[in-house]
Amino acid sequence: MHTLKRTKLAIFLGLLPSLIIYIGIAVVPIGLSLYYSLFNWDGITDKVFIGFDNFTKIFGDDIFWLSVKNNVIIMLTGLVGQIPLGLAIALLLNRSLKGASFFRTVSFLPVVISSVMVSLIWGMIYNTEYGFLNGFLGLIGLESWQRNWLGDPSWSMISLSVAYIWQNFGLYMIIFLAALQNIPAEVNEAAELDGSTGLHRVFRITVPMIRSTILVAVIYSISNSFRVFDLVQILTGGGPAHQTEVMTVYMYNAAFLSRQFGFGSAVSILILLFSLIVVSLVNKVGREKDA
Amino acid sequence: MKKGKTARVTMLSTLVAVMAFVSACGGGGNSEGNGGESGSGGGDQVTLTMMHPWTAPNPDNDVYKARIAAFEEANPGIKIEQDSVAAAQYKTKLFTQAAANNLADINVVWPGADLDPLVNGNLLHPLNDYMDNWDGLVREGSLVGYSKNDNQYAIPTKQNFVDIIYYNKELLAQAGHDTFPDTYEGFITMIQDLKAAGITPISLGNKEKWPLQSSYMSVLTQRFAGADFLQKVVDGEADFNDPQFVKAVAVIDELTKLEAFNVDANNMDSVQAQDYLIQGKAAMHISSATVDGRIRINNEEGDKFGIALFPAVEGGAGEPGIAAGVSQFGIAIKSELDQAKHDAALKFMEYFVSEDLYKDLTSVGIMIPADIEIPEDASPYLKEMMELTSKGSTPVFDAVIPTAAAKEFENGLQALTVGRGTPEGVAQDTQNALGQ
Repeated sequence: MHTLKRTKLAIFLGLLPSLIIYIGIAVVPIGLSLYYSLFNWDGITDKVFIGFDNFTKIFGDDIFWLSVKNNVIIMLTGLVGQIPLGLAIALLLNRSLKGASFFRTVSFLPVVISSVMVSLIWGMIYNTEYGFLNGFLGLIGLESWQRNWLGDPSWSMISLSVAYIWQNFGLYMIIFLAALQNIPAEVNEAAELDGSTGLHRVFRITVPMIRSTILVAVIYSISNSFRVFDLVQILTGGGPAHQTEVMTVYMYNAAFLSRQFGFGSAVSILILLFSLIVVSLVNKVGREKDA
Repeated sequence: MKKGKTARVTMLSTLVAVMAFVSACGGGGNSEGNGGESGSGGGDQVTLTMMHPWTAPNPDNDVYKARIAAFEEANPGIKIEQDSVAAAQYKTKLFTQAAANNLADINVVWPGADLDPLVNGNLLHPLNDYMDNWDGLVREGSLVGYSKNDNQYAIPTKQNFVDIIYYNKELLAQAGHDTFPDTYEGFITMIQDLKAAGITPISLGNKEKWPLQSSYMSVLTQRFAGADFLQKVVDGEADFNDPQFVKAVAVIDELTKLEAFNVDANNMDSVQAQDYLIQGKAAMHISSATVDGRIRINNEEGDKFGIALFPAVEGGAGEPGIAAGVSQFGIAIKSELDQAKHDAALKFMEYFVSEDLYKDLTSVGIMIPADIEIPEDASPYLKEMMELTSKGSTPVFDAVIPTAAAKEFENGLQALTVGRGTPEGVAQDTQNALGQ
């Protein structure tokens, strides 16, 4: 007992620095946001307590629900775009392929580039006048396919989603690649002996073997999708006419551009709630299957 | 054994360092502490921080920065630590710093509705006692926007007009127009003719959303609803649902339906839109008088371009010939500076906002809010600009209308340009945002 107690103390002491930092940069600000969300406050003059008025106002705002919808689109983009693409490329690269490490680096590159750069690059690709995409379409005689990719409300969200997939799939590829390499060779050999090859082996052997990794990737992808900000902010600023606004951009506009810090804090609390709900749902579903 | 001990010591000292770091962060993050050290403790050396938006390629920005450098040279004991923030983000950063009570020692501020929160939060130092420096130099009228409750909080350094229409004479001639129209109907006809000639009538860079609000709606509001309409709205004597104001908003709708703007208007910033005009990709561009530096004064082909104001509208309440003006770039000192910094900041103000600055600005073709002799060799373009804007001015939209409503309005206007919403709806939403 005596030793265990000492270990506990050591564990506590060891955790203390990171605990303090975590509380300081995560828990305290969340508490503060919750507090501010109950006020009408421009950040400078005195706060006026208004109870839950900010929240009722948010729930009555169509633009907020539009931003929620866009967040859901981004989330689905991550789930049906990034993860399958990451998995597919990981499967391709997980064999003796000439130049595999080169392709691995290339696929992972977008994750390392600062997302401001990524946004600027895609801004140039999508540019109507001199953009790469319209230029390419013009070159191959598909002028009729040229679009105002970011400015046309019916295309802007799709354009954003493509950029979002490109930016992040490499991360999932690396995660899956690591998991694939942990699959014992005997399993694959046994599968081969049993005559399982190709897609059959992928879905019957490989995917089940890395299930827990996929679950982690799914949860990460979802929570990531609620945090998306820089890409949208730089590519479209939430425009045109709020069509690409996500919750974080909505929050930023309210707090920092319209200077309604109380209102913005309320939005941030809702973002936290929404992502907690979705993540815990996924976690629950995933765990149930495990059991 | 020994190794273990070293490891433990290292860990412990890391821990202490982390704790010290964290508690320092928790201690309020007050920059006063750091600044004070160099001010009082370090002998004569005083470091002042200054935040300004002078990053764009405009001639006035170079003048301002040169003036700061000259001050530092003349006062070796004072160092100005500059934080230059792109103009589009400047106000956001200013108010975020203000909210954290973390303003720079010297700030560039905007008048009217943008100054109010800073004054209400007691963040700026009144300059009443030092106004002798600028009496008789700076025009009374341009000081008004920077004064509140009988206190003067900043001195403007530049006179700007936000709604100058720059037009390419050659392109207009191609569409059969040798002069700029003086009625709204003529203006619309010209746009149709330009369209028919395959020329983009107006280049607009509305990604940052302020151009339509500031450069378009300030003057449109005046032409349709009258010069005092915005102030009346703020005072509750009028509201945005007024049919005349709705008509003003409807101009944006009409221009959109005529496809008067470049298609990528919402994806580019105002500097890119200026480039479209300069490169001959569009016939007109509506922007501030400052832009004249790029379009004409420092442009070899500057004489291709003419300037005009928005024409008269039939049945409008405001008189034509008036431009939407603002006394820009007020220089203000943060309140509650320690004595050494306060004195240094005042010294800077006296040096920076002076006749020499105004002369330098005039010589690069920038209008100023001061009465000084215009030198003979001043650019003829500057004289033309001064002539054009000499008939009086009307306030800029967001200098009068509080921020939340102005932002709502900007979003509504952007929606109109992609065919969403109606002028009535935009007016109603803006009124609602104002009421909050």
